[in-house]
Amino acid sequence: MTAPTNDQIREAVSREYAGRVRGVLDGIEDEVPLVAASGCCSAPAAEEAPSCCGSDAGTDAQVTRIAALYSQAEVADLPSTVTDVSFGCGNPTAIAALQPGQVVLDLGSGGGIDCFLAAKMVGPAGKVYGVDRTPEMIALARKNAAKVGATNVEFRQGEIEALPVDSESVDVIISNCVINLAPDKDAVFREAFRVLKPGGRLQVSDMVWKREAPAELKSDLEQWAGCISGALLESEYVAKIRAAGFDNVTSDAREYELGKGLATTNVVATRPAGVPAPGRCC
Amino acid sequence: MRHDLMEILVCPLCKGDLQLTVEKEEGAEILDGKLYCAACNETFPIEEGIPNLLPPDLRD
Repeated sequence: MTAPTNDQIREAVSREYAGRVRGVLDGIEDEVPLVAASGCCSAPAAEEAPSCCGSDAGTDAQVTRIAALYSQAEVADLPSTVTDVSFGCGNPTAIAALQPGQVVLDLGSGGGIDCFLAAKMVGPAGKVYGVDRTPEMIALARKNAAKVGATNVEFRQGEIEALPVDSESVDVIISNCVINLAPDKDAVFREAFRVLKPGGRLQVSDMVWKREAPAELKSDLEQWAGCISGALLESEYVAKIRAAGFDNVTSDAREYELGKGLATTNVVATRPAGVPAPGRCC
Repeated sequence: MRHDLMEILVCPLCKGDLQLTVEKEEGAEILDGKLYCAACNETFPIEEGIPNLLPPDLRD
């Protein structure tokens, strides 16, 4: 099988996630019971490998999973259109560490759950920005923002490899099981470094491999959308973050049972103070 | 999008400032309009309140 191009990967991922969210958007319009959206990593082709989010796509399982990740108290006041469209592997620690007044950027904001939780933490003096490449996700996130009544959250459509965000404007970058979907991860980490203020923190959760992934997965587009093909080796992932200029990089990858080496990790890294962003091209 | 989003918004290509043209707004919310980057001579649309800042070659 020929390896897919970066554009083919982006298109496949976008198509997959747009499809997942459409049922929920229709539900808002028609006020009919919501269609359960499947988890980030429960693409049918991913049956043999464990998913980052549990393979059960049912609504109850989805809600239970989210509740376990975020604790019931945090998500209890979020509408189901928010919690049903959370495809992440869990980023509660990053959200818990946020301080009032901080500016937060969520890479791949999806239906907005992490943004809304972050918005509560940073309070009215803070600000949360969500970036997602899928227009259907942005539309849903905006509708959710209206429902939740969040006034300190803004969403825009954009590419995490080419962020439409000013340099040195963000205190904390969060991202929940999304960076693996980007074909050019070096660009993602370079951009993250650029937009963070000196001393700012990158705190993301993602899928990585603890050992070399089976070669046939790397060229499978369905597995890209399922967060599996795009996942890097943990050591490679950390090396790319360091190469972008970050220091104090930590990663705590925990392997899934029977996961053939697939793992979920929480990564924390700091943009050192006093180091300018590397020169950028245009 | 709200006007204050402009504080942090830049061109995804050159990271320069964008000029905002509002075509339709409702309260503080800009519903339709354009964001223009003079340096790159690129226009990014705002449709139904959503600023589309995907690089032009990645738009559908």
